[in-house]
Amino acid sequence: MTTVVRTSRPVASHRARPGTARGGRRRRYSGLLMAAPALLLFGLFGLVPLVGVLVLSLARWDGLGSIGWAGLTNWTGVLTDGATWQALWLTLKVMVVSWLVQTPLALALGLFQAPRGRLRALFAVLWFLPLLLSAVAIGLTWQALLDPSFGIGAAPGLHWLAKPLLGSPDLALYTVIFVIAWQFVPFHALLYQAGVRQIPVSLYEAAAIDGAGPVTRLLRITLPQLKYTFVTSSTLMLVGSLTYFDLIYVLSGGTGGPGTATRVLPLAMYITGFQVHDMGRASAIATLLVVFGLALSLLTTRLSGFTRMDSQQEGM
Amino acid sequence: MWALNDQTILKDSVDAYNKDHPDEKITLRLFAGDDYKQKLRVAFGANQAPDIFFSWGGGALDDYVKAGKVDTLSDAQVDLLRFTPSVLKSATFDGQVYGVPANGLAPVVLYYNKKVFKDAGVEAPKSYDDLLTDVKKLKGAGVTPISLAANSKWPTLMYLEYLLDREGGSDVFDGIASGNAAGWKDASVTAANTRLQELAKAGAFGDNASSVSYDQGASTALLYTGKAGMELMGTWEYANLVKAAPDFVKKDLGYVAFPSLSGGKGDAKDIVGNPSNFLSLNSKSKNKSAALTYFKNYVLNDSQVDAYLAAGSVPPVNKLDSKLAAVKSADDKKWLTFVYGLVQNSPNFQLSWDQALSSDQADPLLTNVDKSFLRQITPEQFGTNMSKAAQ
Amino acid sequence: MSTVVATLRRTATGGATLVWTALVVVPLYWVIVTSLRGQADFTTGNPLALPGHPTLDNYRTVLDGDFTTYLLNSVIVTVATVAIVMVVALMAAFSIVRYTNPWSRLTFRLYLLGLAIPLQAVIIPVYLLIIRLHMYDSLLAIVLPSAAFALPVTVMILVSFLRDVPRSLFEAMVVDGAGDWRMLFSLAAPMARPALVTVAVYDGLQVWNGFLFPLILTQSGDKAVLPLALTLYRGQFGINVPATMAAVVLSTLPMLVVFVLARRQLVAGLTAGFSK
Repeated sequence: MTTVVRTSRPVASHRARPGTARGGRRRRYSGLLMAAPALLLFGLFGLVPLVGVLVLSLARWDGLGSIGWAGLTNWTGVLTDGATWQALWLTLKVMVVSWLVQTPLALALGLFQAPRGRLRALFAVLWFLPLLLSAVAIGLTWQALLDPSFGIGAAPGLHWLAKPLLGSPDLALYTVIFVIAWQFVPFHALLYQAGVRQIPVSLYEAAAIDGAGPVTRLLRITLPQLKYTFVTSSTLMLVGSLTYFDLIYVLSGGTGGPGTATRVLPLAMYITGFQVHDMGRASAIATLLVVFGLALSLLTTRLSGFTRMDSQQEGM
Repeated sequence: MWALNDQTILKDSVDAYNKDHPDEKITLRLFAGDDYKQKLRVAFGANQAPDIFFSWGGGALDDYVKAGKVDTLSDAQVDLLRFTPSVLKSATFDGQVYGVPANGLAPVVLYYNKKVFKDAGVEAPKSYDDLLTDVKKLKGAGVTPISLAANSKWPTLMYLEYLLDREGGSDVFDGIASGNAAGWKDASVTAANTRLQELAKAGAFGDNASSVSYDQGASTALLYTGKAGMELMGTWEYANLVKAAPDFVKKDLGYVAFPSLSGGKGDAKDIVGNPSNFLSLNSKSKNKSAALTYFKNYVLNDSQVDAYLAAGSVPPVNKLDSKLAAVKSADDKKWLTFVYGLVQNSPNFQLSWDQALSSDQADPLLTNVDKSFLRQITPEQFGTNMSKAAQ
Repeated sequence: MSTVVATLRRTATGGATLVWTALVVVPLYWVIVTSLRGQADFTTGNPLALPGHPTLDNYRTVLDGDFTTYLLNSVIVTVATVAIVMVVALMAAFSIVRYTNPWSRLTFRLYLLGLAIPLQAVIIPVYLLIIRLHMYDSLLAIVLPSAAFALPVTVMILVSFLRDVPRSLFEAMVVDGAGDWRMLFSLAAPMARPALVTVAVYDGLQVWNGFLFPLILTQSGDKAVLPLALTLYRGQFGINVPATMAAVVLSTLPMLVVFVLARRQLVAGLTAGFSK
């Protein structure tokens, strides 16, 4: 999500400068006052819990009694448990496969949607609809739709769909990835559409003069110009995939099943904390999730060179 | 007071109480099944628990008892002697009673579709071997032999509970429930898992059971639409069937006890399931006397017992014979007599494992049952995994 | 040669377009026809055929319950969260743009860090905090954490927008002797309007569809928001898939209305912040 920063492209000379000497103190005071409510809110529910999760990972708490000290037992438990590594692996798999599936689809749909026109607008409206549904609604819908006896598999000609798509340990994860794509591709298609529409027409006109065909135009102009959109969309997909909790929770009836075939890290954390009632251990898993998230955004930021915002802040 | 949202008859008892006590009313909050246990736990953790709460007894209730959150109930306070003793056992810890039964007995029985059975030329199974033969014939006739909502995991557990009881007797699980983790490694636990996998391999549950979810009503529908021959489920399924397919109940619904197992140590009359649900009193409640009055005079009182019987459910109270004889509907009478007889004649009524064990073991249990059913682990591994989780 | 490739490309995009449209439309169509079916029709009929005897009973079942309570809760939570975030984030963004001392740089970095924290990861401490603050099982328990977690994105988008406001405008106000507050309300806020609409839409949709905070931080039926209520319906109607689908339709209806009334703002709102 860090890429939002990119949008700014601040130009130093355009930036409002701090006030001059006159009334400087009063101004600094009001500046602090303005920043305070947001900081307070974010600090209390964002930063304090971030420290809290680390502290709780060293504690013993069953959610019922009082909180006690546990030392490193939660950590040794979590790190030596095969289930943790399996959850981590599943999370990684969902992340990578989702990205591989969604990116080409979103790009293709975005390219199609970009030129103006009635038919295209109609398609765009239809494709937008899944964005309006909550993850819970989508999960309930697909769970019922994929029921092998009474779902879509019962329709004539579609009997090949009457398979345990959500029930087989081999298929369930891919079915979940498909439903995730169903939910999120429309959003990324919109990003690409907006990206295409922002490409200056002059570029295409120049290419036309050079006699470039549609393929050359696609490869030489459109795709390179979409580089930033690509990075934005990819980052959102990768970081976002750490948060596919709602959908998997509903699709697997809250268990991450069949077996543990869809028990990704957030779900493992939820089950450990709120079903097994081992809050300490769940906090250790949550800490892994935090580390995962931070590492991922650091990586994408570095790879895409989007620290610019930061460095410009420094340089002021 | 908190309860599950399918407890409409229980709700009537609250209404009756409130009518008589307008100055000290009970507010009833109803919850959906899946989340109820979590919500209750969280509420106790947050000190916002209700005065009266609904539970399944067993390990989950014992957690609260151990944490000092529940009051004991004496006969003088709530008239305990009217309840079936084998049922009260599920809410008794260290000789003290911590809950009153509040709804019907819910043993698990085998339902079948008479028409499907007739078409395939099979009879209701009396023994495990019969069951295997039936499975083969039903499969040959092109129907799913047994409807199982394996996606919900707990319906699969019912098979294991019965198979272990038939295989090794009730002592094996009693030992485990009392804290003996090594009990999971008993040979009969492995044997029960072998039987479960044997059934699955024989195609007893069809190809799609792992996708069938009980919450979506699919396993019930498979039975009454004739797409499946049998279903193993708690007695509450009868009311579901009456609601969804009354004609089927009249014409084609059959039910028997779980089959016996030749060579097994267990008594074929043993049953598993939920003896009843219980209402317990929060020890921090400020309205204790009102709660006790409600327990004593309104929970499973005469009109409640009648209401349960009318709904096809047998409440866990003594001396029911005359009331049963008075039931009007022939279908219901047959059903109620069957359930009552089953419970009266059973030497042991085992509370479902996921309720009997403490809550931290429920998730590993259901996960491993599911894995065993999916044959992702061997029968031996089930015991090994569970004994590890129990430590 | 290139025309062949172009035709291929057109067929490919065209094919993908049709397949995807079917994948989107068929499930939604199924939801609607199923919600109009009776229970018997559902278990026996062709799931994609129009219902033989269409019925509104399922909708009646849903509406007879506490649907309006859930709807109201969702509206309250969404409106309150968005309002808080807008005001608080605009002030924060303004002060970050206006001041370039180490403090404001640090705040900026904190929000940057916030973008990378998955909400799920901190739910246990948040839960503990809400209990200790005696806010458990109240709508406020959803509003405050939701607002806190909407802040990073919102502040980032607003900061990037305010940075592009020409310096001369601010300078002119300083010359007029305007203080920070006046500058915020009479210059920054109007200038940032498009960005405010963007984040309002984005945050609003997130909160409206949010599930984890309601799931963990509330318990009673009268505090349930729509997504949580949907899972309650599943338990309640259990056996009745058509009624569950009617609930899905009804819970989506408010967003659909917003979509029909303000499609352009909604689409722009979703992407503008990310693709300017």
